[in-house]
Amino acid sequence: MAWFAISATGCVLLARTELAQLREAFETDARISHRLLSQRVVQHEAVLATLALLQPTPPAGSAESAEQSLSSVYPQILGVQRRDAGAAWPDPSLEPAEKLSRQTRGAVLANPDFTSARGRYQLVLAAQPASYALLIDIHGTIPWKDWSMPVQTSPVRVTLEHAGQAFVVQPGRLTAQGWRFAFHKHLDSQSQPFDVVALRQVGWQELPWVAMLLWAFAVAAALAAWSAWQDQRSARRRAEALLRVGQVARLNTLGELAAGMAHELNQPLTAILANTQAAKRLLLDDPGELPTALQAMDQAVAQARRAAEVLGRLRRTVEQAAPPEPGQTVDLARVVRSALDLLEPECQRRGLVASVHIEQIALVLAERVALEQIVHNLITNALQALDTVPASERQLAIHIGAAHGMGVLRVADTGPGIAPDTLPHVFEPFFTTREGGLGLGLSLCETLASGMGGHLSAQANVPRGAIFVLSLPLAPAP
Amino acid sequence: MNAPLSPLIHLIDDDDAVRAGLALLIGTVGLRVQAWADPQEFMRGFDRQGIGAIVLDVRMPGISGLTVLDQLVAQGVDQPVIMLTGHGTVELCRRAFKSGATEFLEKPVDDEVLLEALQNAVRLHVRSRERHQANREARAHYAQLSEREREVLGLIVEGLTNKEIGRALGLSPRTVESHRANLFAKLQVESLAHLIRHYAALAAESHS
Repeated sequence: MAWFAISATGCVLLARTELAQLREAFETDARISHRLLSQRVVQHEAVLATLALLQPTPPAGSAESAEQSLSSVYPQILGVQRRDAGAAWPDPSLEPAEKLSRQTRGAVLANPDFTSARGRYQLVLAAQPASYALLIDIHGTIPWKDWSMPVQTSPVRVTLEHAGQAFVVQPGRLTAQGWRFAFHKHLDSQSQPFDVVALRQVGWQELPWVAMLLWAFAVAAALAAWSAWQDQRSARRRAEALLRVGQVARLNTLGELAAGMAHELNQPLTAILANTQAAKRLLLDDPGELPTALQAMDQAVAQARRAAEVLGRLRRTVEQAAPPEPGQTVDLARVVRSALDLLEPECQRRGLVASVHIEQIALVLAERVALEQIVHNLITNALQALDTVPASERQLAIHIGAAHGMGVLRVADTGPGIAPDTLPHVFEPFFTTREGGLGLGLSLCETLASGMGGHLSAQANVPRGAIFVLSLPLAPAP
Repeated sequence: MNAPLSPLIHLIDDDDAVRAGLALLIGTVGLRVQAWADPQEFMRGFDRQGIGAIVLDVRMPGISGLTVLDQLVAQGVDQPVIMLTGHGTVELCRRAFKSGATEFLEKPVDDEVLLEALQNAVRLHVRSRERHQANREARAHYAQLSEREREVLGLIVEGLTNKEIGRALGLSPRTVESHRANLFAKLQVESLAHLIRHYAALAAESHS
């Protein structure tokens, strides 16, 4: 939908620009034609005026020579007629034109013939003693040499029109549909005010289809890229959310387990305590109450067994819930990259760029989600540790390698490190040095790692900080 | 008026072993125990008039101990309530006390702690019942006085002599003396000190 709207708008703009350019070109051509034709017809007036002024006396019986000499200079002038004073025109039809010319004191058009192949007309100027008339070839008048358009192929139709007659200068190509440009202007001449008519029909096929198509494609490509980017972003967010949900779910389960366990154990403990203390009181107060005291002790024993059973049941539940045997071949480097990708905002907030050194590609056998969780946890821990040192001293180095059939991931930070006496406890449940920490993150990671046949250990970094080393069995070479 | 033999402790916990153990322990100090597995049954069946206390487990299936506590308070039950819980958070504790619990103890509970809390609770209850009882009796006696006798009582409590009372009420000292004898008899008091201790508050209350 968006694609259609953007494409259509773009195409309309392209088409309008193209049409505007075509119109401008057309109008320029039409104006040039008008100017050229005007210059030519003005020449005719000039020639006639010169003749009338000079009154060249032709050698006896040779009006022909003047005509010939003129035709050689102006090929469009087919002939010259002259009426000497008192004489009559060889062609009587010129008589009214000469009369008119005498009134207007200018050249007058006579016998226009626009319909024949080349077209012709006469131009009469009354003068003293002799009057002159020129016979002009319209086709010859057209300055083909200076013409701005290719006469045969140009799509522009140009005609000279006068009194309902039209001489086709250039046929052009007029189609039924499309946009029509028109140009009308009379020649700048009193005697030959022919109308220059130019027409241009722009057909559908002349629109910039290629450009429009390219535009549509470009829009489609841009939209596709945009939506791909969006998809990627939401996929990333989803992955992030999933990881978080998984962690919270596991922690919640642990928390509920702990609460449930507390209740389950509290009941027998309460009973044991009450029974033993009651028995003690009974024996102290009155030795005669021995049977009741014995019953109370039996109760206490039974309740101690019950407490043991609760623990046994709990252990079995946890063992059942342990992750299944690892089946996937996972590239450690990829998991690290995706975790860093997810934690990018966290790194940026701390002004930190994690350095990743891959000594050897490590393809390990693991349950992908569990592994992702471990890596995510280790990096998060490192970032949190780095919060306590100045920004300039924060370094997070991740190293991937392999040794003794195990893929090894080392996450080293330059944070405050782990005190030697707490080092043995970091993987114990509910052990935390962090305010508000549950103390389950590392314990969970350790459980997950050993569930996949690997292990997780911690050591001190030099000169400062902590290193967590995760080892997982390498996948057998394919 | 029912005369309780000895205080009765109501013990409500859904766990049989806990109930039995605690009942035995409480019995060793001579308190009678009535154990209830089902809180709803307890609410329907327990004797509200008796002297004693209630020991209530917080975590029970079906209905929470806190809900039971709220219902007891709403029904005007005056027995003190001791709450027992497996894992007591500050929030839980705060809520229990706000709802009117007398004590809040964590399981497993030590005998000394529980028994002392119970004995305190029973003592508290006995005293409050006595106070209520005395109050009720005083009101009953006071109701028997005539209007004039009440006026005379009000002035006696204020510390006036018979002569002064007679002047204030327009009575002869002899009449005042006879009213005085009557009201001492009706209120069943032997001395002026006794009269003032038990009836000063009532007299002031009805005067105002």
